[in-house]
This record gives sequence, structure tokens and C-alpha cells, in this order.
Amino acid sequence: MKILGFDTAAPANTIGLVDDDRLLADCAWEARDNSLQRIVLNIDLVLKRAGVALRDIDGLAVGIGPGSWTGGKVGVTVAKTLAYAVDKPICGVPSFEALAYQSRSLSVQLCPLVAAGRDTVYAAFYRPRARALVKQGDYYVGSIEGLTAAVKEPTLFLGKPAHIHRQALAEALGPLASFGSPSDSPAGSAFAWTAWPRLRRGDSDDALSLSPLYLTEYLAHALLAKRRQDREPRG
Amino acid sequence: MLILGIETSCDETAAALVEDGAILSNVISSQIDLHARYGGVVPEIASRKHVEAIGYVIREAFDTARRRPSQIDGIAVSARYGLIGSLVVGVAAAKSLAYALKVPLVGTHHIEGHIFAPILSHPGIPMPHVCLTVSGGHTMLVHVKGPCRYEVMGNTVDDAAGEAFDKIAKFLDIGFPGGPAIDRLALKGSRTAFDLPRPLVRSRSLDFSFSGLKTCVVNMFRDRPPEGLPLPDVAASFQEAVVDVLVSKALQAAERKAVSAISVTGGVSSNRRLGEAFQEACGRRGLAVFFPLPDLRTDNAAMVAAAGTARLAQGEVSGLDLNAVASAPLESLR
Repeated sequence: MKILGFDTAAPANTIGLVDDDRLLADCAWEARDNSLQRIVLNIDLVLKRAGVALRDIDGLAVGIGPGSWTGGKVGVTVAKTLAYAVDKPICGVPSFEALAYQSRSLSVQLCPLVAAGRDTVYAAFYRPRARALVKQGDYYVGSIEGLTAAVKEPTLFLGKPAHIHRQALAEALGPLASFGSPSDSPAGSAFAWTAWPRLRRGDSDDALSLSPLYLTEYLAHALLAKRRQDREPRG
Repeated sequence: MLILGIETSCDETAAALVEDGAILSNVISSQIDLHARYGGVVPEIASRKHVEAIGYVIREAFDTARRRPSQIDGIAVSARYGLIGSLVVGVAAAKSLAYALKVPLVGTHHIEGHIFAPILSHPGIPMPHVCLTVSGGHTMLVHVKGPCRYEVMGNTVDDAAGEAFDKIAKFLDIGFPGGPAIDRLALKGSRTAFDLPRPLVRSRSLDFSFSGLKTCVVNMFRDRPPEGLPLPDVAASFQEAVVDVLVSKALQAAERKAVSAISVTGGVSSNRRLGEAFQEACGRRGLAVFFPLPDLRTDNAAMVAAAGTARLAQGEVSGLDLNAVASAPLESLR
């Protein structure tokens, strides 16, 4: 089964083409603000390198964030439009799952982190089971201190914020905390392989309604809510 | 030539199929209700909604036209001028589709799309002509020398005319978007009830300024209780001031270029008083005046397809590295 996986929500944009458990071709480049400019050209590059036509792939996997807001929208729009044009199934893959993919056969709880600006992080908890990831509870948005309060068992922290906040995590959690890869941009193949079990059993997302994963509300929405609150009579 | 147009510059997600000047479909998904509570377009909301809507809008454009994606000869997309978070969605969809279908892609300027709305509506429109394009995002006078050949003659130095309508409507608390709200109210009011300035109307320059007019209205009525405001008179007088300036500058531009026709396009071209004033003024001077079909006045993708058809006919094609550019002069197009 040939799956084209790509992500433009992370600091580096990545594309990978896999055929079952084989990597056929891949590509990565620093995103800056050129996700839109490069993504389709680089998809073409990866497909050509593997000698595979877009019509011959069996499915698409795309990173839905969280991460760069604009980058995430570009990736999801490209993926849904390609899926529509060549009529292929598509899976949206949260950044967290791709970050945790490499560690899916370990026996500790996994906590991939994504930078959310200032001192805030996005996080998710997974328990590996039979080389698959089972999500525990809701996604987390908040401070590192708030995150450590929720950790009660041995946990492997992944992603760049884990590296940046390593000292704070280690001090708060002691032996419960361990640290994995500090990379913040999983390979395109990690997105493809994360989606593989789903696509193999015929489970996919609806291409047209697929959206990035937003874990924070609009700033405008928050301001409006605050203004309403301020207008409420006090007492 | 069967061309798919895509437009996501601001808060309208649009796709259309145009074949040799015939509009086969013109699908517009407006987000206006979502932005109304904020009194203006919120860029992040607009961008998120484009991602949700774009696939459905493109599919509907094909379904309505009873055509399949494999039948198109090219794709045109508004790639320049607008909210960057909005533009990227249309450009991402357009280039992906062009790549998957192996058809040529052409990026157009949002303003160029508006210039093509009256051309698409009235194929006999004389070339060259002068185009007044006016909306919530821009106010521009353009000498249209020929298809895809433009000279910008005037521009707003501050607010767009439609933006001034929105801000006055917000001040009067009569709803968003402001244009239609003021247009409706003004029908019942007197155009001469209040003596408002006509900014830059006597200047040799063809530029516009609406910020001072807006401030003047706000200062005039700020201290009055809202329930005591003569809303219809304020709306009619304000609207008349804007219309006066727009008509007068467009006529000056037409005279300078010695053209026989003026086109008026963009969302504000739906304003009833503006239409009336242009018919009167152009009639007196023996000038022809052209407005787009009603569906082509606000942002739409049929106008983009028309502009793209003209560019493709000249052999122009964009690469798959086409990028979105928020602010680009109209003349920057090759």
C-alpha cells in the first residue's frame, strides 16, 4: 500500500512516500514562510524520485498540527484538494502522533510536546499498546508547571519543548521523567506510517471537511468574551 | 476554454467555471454572518473558514456546471492582494488541483478580477476605458488600456470607501456589512440634511481619502444619545458625500484619458445611489457606464476565471511555486 505523507505545520516541512513498511523517497526543508511555495513542487519531486504517479498512490496522510497556523492550513488544503482530484482516501494525523511514532514500542507513557508560543506548550499523552498509540485523556494547552502536575507515572517527553524545558521537567518529576528525541519535525514517512493501519482497514477522514487541529480559540473570540464579561453588572 | 476560477482573498470562499465568456457556475460561500458580531472581518476566522469551505465550493462549482475536473483547460486563482491567511488557502487548492489534473495554472491580482467583472458582464465594453473599483478593501481608479494592461490613476490614501461605510454603520450601530445597511436607511433620509466634506474633491490628484469624512460624522454626533440620532438623514448625507467624491474622480479620470466608457465594480458598486449618480453624470456627458451583473459585484470567482482566461490566452502561465502576496501593486503583474 503506497501512502504519501506530508506535513507543513512543523518548523521543517517534510514529505515521505512509503510502500507498506518500505520508504520509497522523502524530502525535508526548512519551512520559514515558503511552505506554500515549495509543497507541491516537492511532492512532485518525491513522487518522481520513486517513479510513482500521483494517481498510483493508495492514500494520503497529512499533518493537521498543532503547529504553525498558516502552515497547517496550507498542508490540509493541499491534501484535501489532491485527495478530491485523484479520488484517494486521506487521513489527518495530529503532530503529536507523528512525534510519538518512533517510540510506539516502548512501555512507558509518551508525552509529545509542541511549542505554543511564549511559555505555553501543546501536549498529548499516549500509552503504547501492541505497537499502536492509545491517547489518554484530552489534549493539553498550558504551562510546563501545569503539565507536570498531571503526570503520575513514568513518562517519556518528546519534541523540542521537552528539550528546552528538560530541567524544569526533571526537577518536578524526578525519576518519572525521561527524554526522547528533541526533534520537532517528524519525517513525512512518520505521518504516512501513523496513518497506515487506519488506511489499511479502510478507515479514512472525509477529505472535504478535513480541518487543522486548533487547540486554542481565536484571539478575537477571546476578546469578545472578555468584553461581554466586562459589560456584565458586577456585585 | 473551460477555466476554473478560485477566489479567497478576504471572507468569501468562491469557485466558478467560465467557458469562453459564459458563466457555467459561480459558487460563493460567504462568511459574513460569522464576522458580523465583530463588526468587521477577523483574519484568523476567515482563514479557518476558507479551509473548511474550499473543497465543497470547488465540488459545487463542477456539479452546478455539470462538468468534471478532468474537462478543464486551466485554473486561475487570486494570488495577490488580500489577507495573507486567506489567500494561501485558494492558492494551495489551485496549485494542487493544477498539479493533479496536469492543467496550466495562472495567478491573478484580486483587483484585476474586479476589473474583469464588468467585462465579463458586458462583452462589448469599449477598450480602453476607466474602471472605478471600490469595496471594503480598496478604492482604485484604473485606466484599462487593454486586456491585462493597466495603469493605476488613483488610490485611497487611508480607508477604502466600503470600510468607511462599515465604520459609520458600526458607529450608528445599524449592522455589518455597513454598505447595504446605510443604503437601506438612506432611502428614507435627506441627502442634504447635513453639510459634510467632500475630501480631496477639488484636488488635481485622483486619490481618495475617507478617513476624515468618517471622523467628521463621528465628531458631529458623538455627544448625542443614540436614540436621538436622525439615522436616515445621517446615512443619506454620508452616502451622498462618498458618492459625490467617487463620481467626480471617475469623471476626471475619464476626461484625462479621453475614454468613452467608465466601469464601476466591487462591492460598493451595488450601492443604489452610486448607480443612480453615475447614470445621471455619465448621461449628461455622453459617456457609457457599465456595472457588473449583481452576482459579480462582491468577491466572486467568475471574475477571476475571466481574468485568468485573458492571461492564459496571452500565453501566460504561473509555475507550481506560485506564492500568495498580501500587498502587490496591480502593475506588478507581467
